[in-house]
Amino acid sequence: MKSDDKSIKWVEEPPLGLAGRSYVPLLVGGITTTLKHLAGPKMTVESPEQRHAIVDPLGYRGVHRLNRDAQGRVKCVACFLCATACPAHCIDIVAAESPWPDREKYPESFTIDELRCIFCGMCEEACPVDAIELTSLYDLSGKSREEMIFDKAKLLSVYDQTKDAEPMRSAQADRATDSACPDSGERGEEPI
Amino acid sequence: MYLVIESLIKIGVIIGGLMGAAAYLVLVERRVAAWIQDRRGPNRVGIPLTEIRLFGLGQPIADGVKFIFKEEFVPGHVDRLLYVAAPMVMFVAATVLFAAIPFGTVDLGIAGWAPINLVVVPGLDVGIIYIVAVSSIAVYGVLLGSWASNNKYAFFGGVRSAAQLISYEIPLGVAILGVVLASGSLRLEAIVEAQAETGVWNVLTQPLGFLVFLVASFAESGRLPFDLAESEQELVGGFHTEYSGIKLMMYLVAEYLHMIAGSFLIVLLFLGGWHFWGLTGDGPVAGIGVALVRIAVFLAKVLAVILFFMIARWSWPRFRFDQLMGLAWKVMLPLGLVNLVGVAVWIEYLRAPLAVSGLPERLVMAAAGWLLLGVAWLAAMAAAPSARDNRPDLSLVARYRDSREAR
Amino acid sequence: MATVLIDGTEIEIGDGERLNAIEAAARAGVSIPYYCWHPGLSVVGSCRMCLVEAGTRDAAGRIQMGPKLVPACNTLVRDGTVLVTQSEKVQQARAMVEEGLLLRHPIDCPICDKAGECLLQDYYFEYGQADGRRADIRPFTSRRRDLGDVALFVDRCILCTRCVRFVREVSGTNELLVSGRATGEEIDVFPGFPLANKLSGNVVDLCPVGALADKDFLYRQRVWFMRSHPGVCTRCASGCSIWIDENQDRIHRIRPRENPHVNRWWICNDGRYDYPHVHNPARLVGARQRKGGDTRELDFTGLAGQLRAALRQAGRLGAVLSPFLTLQEAYLLAGTIRQLDPQALLALGPVPLAGEDERYPGGFTISKEKCPNRFGVERILGRMAGGVIRFDHFVEQVAQGAIAGAWVSGGYRQGWIDEATAAKFEQLRLLVVQDLFPSPLSQRATYELGGAAFAERDGSYVNRQHRLQSVAWAIRPPAGVRTEGSILWELAGRAGLYDAAATLRELAAEIPFFHPALGTIPETGLDLLVNQIA
Ligand code: SF4
Ligand code: SF4
Ligand code: SF4
Ligand code: SF4
Ligand code: FES
Repeated sequence: MKSDDKSIKWVEEPPLGLAGRSYVPLLVGGITTTLKHLAGPKMTVESPEQRHAIVDPLGYRGVHRLNRDAQGRVKCVACFLCATACPAHCIDIVAAESPWPDREKYPESFTIDELRCIFCGMCEEACPVDAIELTSLYDLSGKSREEMIFDKAKLLSVYDQTKDAEPMRSAQADRATDSACPDSGERGEEPI
Repeated sequence: MYLVIESLIKIGVIIGGLMGAAAYLVLVERRVAAWIQDRRGPNRVGIPLTEIRLFGLGQPIADGVKFIFKEEFVPGHVDRLLYVAAPMVMFVAATVLFAAIPFGTVDLGIAGWAPINLVVVPGLDVGIIYIVAVSSIAVYGVLLGSWASNNKYAFFGGVRSAAQLISYEIPLGVAILGVVLASGSLRLEAIVEAQAETGVWNVLTQPLGFLVFLVASFAESGRLPFDLAESEQELVGGFHTEYSGIKLMMYLVAEYLHMIAGSFLIVLLFLGGWHFWGLTGDGPVAGIGVALVRIAVFLAKVLAVILFFMIARWSWPRFRFDQLMGLAWKVMLPLGLVNLVGVAVWIEYLRAPLAVSGLPERLVMAAAGWLLLGVAWLAAMAAAPSARDNRPDLSLVARYRDSREAR
Repeated sequence: MATVLIDGTEIEIGDGERLNAIEAAARAGVSIPYYCWHPGLSVVGSCRMCLVEAGTRDAAGRIQMGPKLVPACNTLVRDGTVLVTQSEKVQQARAMVEEGLLLRHPIDCPICDKAGECLLQDYYFEYGQADGRRADIRPFTSRRRDLGDVALFVDRCILCTRCVRFVREVSGTNELLVSGRATGEEIDVFPGFPLANKLSGNVVDLCPVGALADKDFLYRQRVWFMRSHPGVCTRCASGCSIWIDENQDRIHRIRPRENPHVNRWWICNDGRYDYPHVHNPARLVGARQRKGGDTRELDFTGLAGQLRAALRQAGRLGAVLSPFLTLQEAYLLAGTIRQLDPQALLALGPVPLAGEDERYPGGFTISKEKCPNRFGVERILGRMAGGVIRFDHFVEQVAQGAIAGAWVSGGYRQGWIDEATAAKFEQLRLLVVQDLFPSPLSQRATYELGGAAFAERDGSYVNRQHRLQSVAWAIRPPAGVRTEGSILWELAGRAGLYDAAATLRELAAEIPFFHPALGTIPETGLDLLVNQIA
């Protein structure tokens, strides 16, 4: 925008009073705040001895997991919508025809570069079958970059680890909408 | 021979002390900063391979080791010679400064030994001039480094820094002149002794000079609220954007040493040096016990000033560059001159009549000083504009555009 | 001159032009949605997506609208035709057609390859009802049926019958049919007569929805990840216009690009499935020098200078210009070799032939000549070498020792030269070969250079109907390959990067036959013969 753009509104600075010009109240104010905090209570959580209390594990955006369908197969249908939505371009999928007669397409390989991920949760939002979800595991670490690129097996194992503590979204939604209008029901339960 | 050994010992003590102090002051700074921000700061690194933490006392060592072993990346576009030389210039200038800092004089009480002057170069008659002169060499380190980096952010940082350092040297010098005038000597020992003798620190008699000196030394050491040279939000890292590894460490340590030197000067010139009422005595030469007390008092004062530096960092926001320059030339320099003239008038015309009148001389002196501060401050306040028009001159913009279009 | 009024805009239509309402509206900048109509197929008017209001305007300017909506695809416009395409009536009709089509549609877009370029999706967003009334039906998987060359997802089909009309009218092979009646209608083939013809891939492009799926492309990529680059097929001398769909320098599919002068809307399967050779790991990459028994890998920096020096010292020179070269490359090579040795022997590379031209009822022809640019290279040789020397003659000359150094350009698929022929090149002092795949010849080369595939080149081709088409590269060559154009550009001692457009202008100025190419080259190419007089 050019500085003489007509749409710019120039706002006048409020004039300084005598107190402001003497600078003393500002000096005092600054140092008071500082001193107050110097002695104040500390916020630091001493990880790893202490753990963060996660208020809403279902809403938390931590490590991903790939959910399984009723028969324990990967639920993902390899639609690439998560990869499309991902702003960090960290999801890599290779799709193929599924080996199962009742399903058409499935991810032959599915990897997420957890180092590149910004944990925005867009993939979870985008997934039409609730196959990808973010868990409340937040302290992932690894000794190499390769180790932090999670493949399908690893992502499924995260599901196995967390499925009891954090039930699948669609399962919760179904329970919630059983009595509500059918239109808002999640479509994910259908084997697509 | 004896002199050489004595000097070497002093140098060793000073350098060792300084490096250790710089390292641990970084830790202090980090922890103080953390506390001010409601955090805890580095508290984990203790003795390696054990669980012993020691409040994070191992952190500076870990930091140092990391700096030394980090890849020292030299970008392809730099002027190699200057790029390598610049941090060294800065570092050396910051270190040799301490040669003239006096810690007092001790008489070991051994027969045949002259009292030892606890300063690397004893008897330097122009101590204060030496310090001011050497500390300005730092400008070269900054300017060369930023120029050699061949990076626009570094260059901006360097240019800002040069302008800032040169501008603030003037109020700094003027404030020092007031002290020099009052003590009648350029020797730092003499300045301290003068304060110790009367028991009245210069800060009490020349609060205006102290203020000017304090502000100027903040600016000279490039710390918040005057760290325009490396303001991260605008300039990445300022003049050391392109530096890494041990060269970066030299820059950072040199900056720290500047702050320490500034604190030493403040204590020496205005806060009575090693003197403390009732504790340290007031004669120039002391026995070994008193000398130790004096050193402790001196260091404690310096530490207090350094802590003030650290706390100030989180208390007041950074100035804008035009405000910074305005402050130097339009406020600090006049205030410094007022102080200087005041001191001169006092010495030339008022001291003699006062001595005759029998009023308590020290009290009057202090009262006069504070009165001067109040009046000068009020004057500065009245002269300050209540608002500044920061809008760009739109006619200039339009004219610029027309001329471009015409081309 | 006929005047047609479309949504209040008057457009003029030339005499003798037969346009239906969809085409006429397109000229007025109004788009009418359609499924079953296709400019290359007969009109059936079965989908009813294109319904519009039509009427007439008489000489006095009075407008009389028809009582019912009419299908735009089946309405020829003539003088005084009035079309209304945005009225509420029309919009309602469209929404209802959409709803009807989606009533029994699986909506398995997440796993449908068409998603992203599906007309059903696009039109639903543009013309469908805001809220669907299909609350009770959940998405289901479409039944899959193997039709032979392509797969059919039965439930996704909207029965536009484009595919059926295609096999009747264009390929003339008649494999597909509509079986069943009413709601039981499905596309199918007769048992034992699968869809199998050389144009079968086109039905996938024709299908407005994801019912027909290319088995080669199935599940390979989502379409929105790919970028389409205009290109020219180099599989035969017809030089069909194509789209090269690529993602991160990997071609995933080839589609026809509409070109009324060459391939209209179609391409053959040979060209469509020709791209895998581009990513064949067996490709020749890098540059190497052989001296005695040693092989030394070379860096491309300074390579051109080294080659030039070697050519200069070799003595009598010869060059083989492959019919896979673009005009620019042939011109640069011929020019450089002639400059180094004015007596150099310039020959045309072997022209791969296979059977006879294949003609289809719709007018589509697959040429027997399996290379893109014989015509163009011959014209360049005719000017720069005074005539076209065949490859056999060149080999003879080599065998007789009449040539000491030769530059052979390739670009062929594997197996274009046999051991015996290649052995004759052994006595050369210097042999430079730039080819796509290792061959007996490249193994004997003093300098062996990897060459570019068709999608990696910048340049122009002249097809068998003397139509010149220019293309730019669609993907970058694999690591260690520099295109013929850039190497020859440097060999010719020119500064900067290879500039195909400038080279074309230069050769067009020099060679009279190419004079028409001095102007701009349209997307659909330029007929050199027709434009000779101009
Ligand atoms: S959380 Fe965001 S960044 Fe991470 S994979 Fe999902 S979409 Fe990508
Ligand atoms: S969006 Fe869901 S179903 Fe689609 S590819 Fe990603 S995880 Fe699989
Ligand atoms: S044809 Fe495919 S993309 Fe189109 S609407 Fe149906 S399922 Fe979706
Ligand atoms: S398969 Fe496709 S082209 Fe054929 S009738 Fe169905 S929708 Fe139309
Ligand atoms: S396009 Fe006109 S009825 Fe289908």
